[in-house]
Amino acid sequence: MSADADKDDDQALAAEYALGLMSAEEAAAFEARLASEPALRTAYAQWAENFAAMAEDIPEETPPARVRAKIKAQLFPDAEPQRGNWMRRFGLGAVALAALVAALFLTVDLPGQGVSPPANPVYIADMASDDGALVVHAGYDAETSELYIKREQGEARSGRALELWLIAGENPPVSLGVLPEDDATRVPVTPELAASLEGGVLAISDEPLGGSPTGAPTGDVLAVAPLSEV
Amino acid sequence: MDRKELETLIAKCALGDRAAFDALYAATSSKLFGIVLRILKTRAEAEEVLQEVYVKIWQKSDRYAAGGFSPMTWVITIARNAAIDALRRRKGGAEALSETVINTVPDAGPGPEVLAVQAGERARLMGCMSELEPDRAEAVQAAYLEGDSYADLAERYDVSINTMRTWLRRSLLKLRECLSR
Repeated sequence: MSADADKDDDQALAAEYALGLMSAEEAAAFEARLASEPALRTAYAQWAENFAAMAEDIPEETPPARVRAKIKAQLFPDAEPQRGNWMRRFGLGAVALAALVAALFLTVDLPGQGVSPPANPVYIADMASDDGALVVHAGYDAETSELYIKREQGEARSGRALELWLIAGENPPVSLGVLPEDDATRVPVTPELAASLEGGVLAISDEPLGGSPTGAPTGDVLAVAPLSEV
Repeated sequence: MDRKELETLIAKCALGDRAAFDALYAATSSKLFGIVLRILKTRAEAEEVLQEVYVKIWQKSDRYAAGGFSPMTWVITIARNAAIDALRRRKGGAEALSETVINTVPDAGPGPEVLAVQAGERARLMGCMSELEPDRAEAVQAAYLEGDSYADLAERYDVSINTMRTWLRRSLLKLRECLSR
């Protein structure tokens, strides 16, 4: 009975909080509990969902264009972003890009970094999301049978992970693992997988922490690139 | 635009994708401006608040997934809370609403279960609201769309704050019970 009463109490609190009826002190106390009580977060989210339905029939109204302009000016003061994908932005053709990436592998060898790039990568792939926020290079080191992965830019969203996949022909994607927090890593490649690198495609998807629970990509595919021979 | 598409746009915003932000603005700004305008009544103020709302949406998009909200509810709640805050600032003195919807980072465990949002949500809510006594349903609506505090509501219905609180809590639990049927 008292457990039920507590549950009711929490439901009422979550509703009061969602409506904004609490005093600042009460709200602060409730928030402290929210951070550590999933059931309470669910109750709050459910109430927010229910109450938002009250906004459903409020007529839409197109805001004047100046609002959008002001928002963009506030958020992106560095002027209009360039359109187009990463490759075009740098004015590089695929060949030049491959050369650039190869050069990168050859020249980047910072002392103190545990993971070094392959001296003579056999295949490379250059993955970049459409907006260029995520940039990851990969190079296959045949000498050690490892795929060298270098995350140049971007990271997993908070509470999410980036997972690397190899797609060979018509076969379903094979997971090569979740990218670590370190920006460079080496992933061992079995001889069987190594055989399918030629003509293969690497992809990175957004997945729950620890990687896809199903063994296939479940989240958005953020970046894709073919493996090309150096 | 369906839920999945909106979630993708929010996820891309979290990755810094400005084109996704443009698309999200195009898909939601009329809805949110309507809500903000309804709460604030004056266009100039509504425009300012809408700007604030989208800045928050962009900056907090990485928190979206942790909240367990559907994407429309997430943006609507940010807009509604910002508008109510502006209204309260205008009235002077009253407490600002909390921003847990965009700020809470759970320190343990999974996020809330994904909620099933179906069409006709409003019909369901209104059906359940109509089971409440009319003045209490009105009070719930006044709190949500006009930002009334317990003190405001107590004055409106000419009862003590404690009575108002007891009333409303009972009504909210009744509403909960109806909605979970």
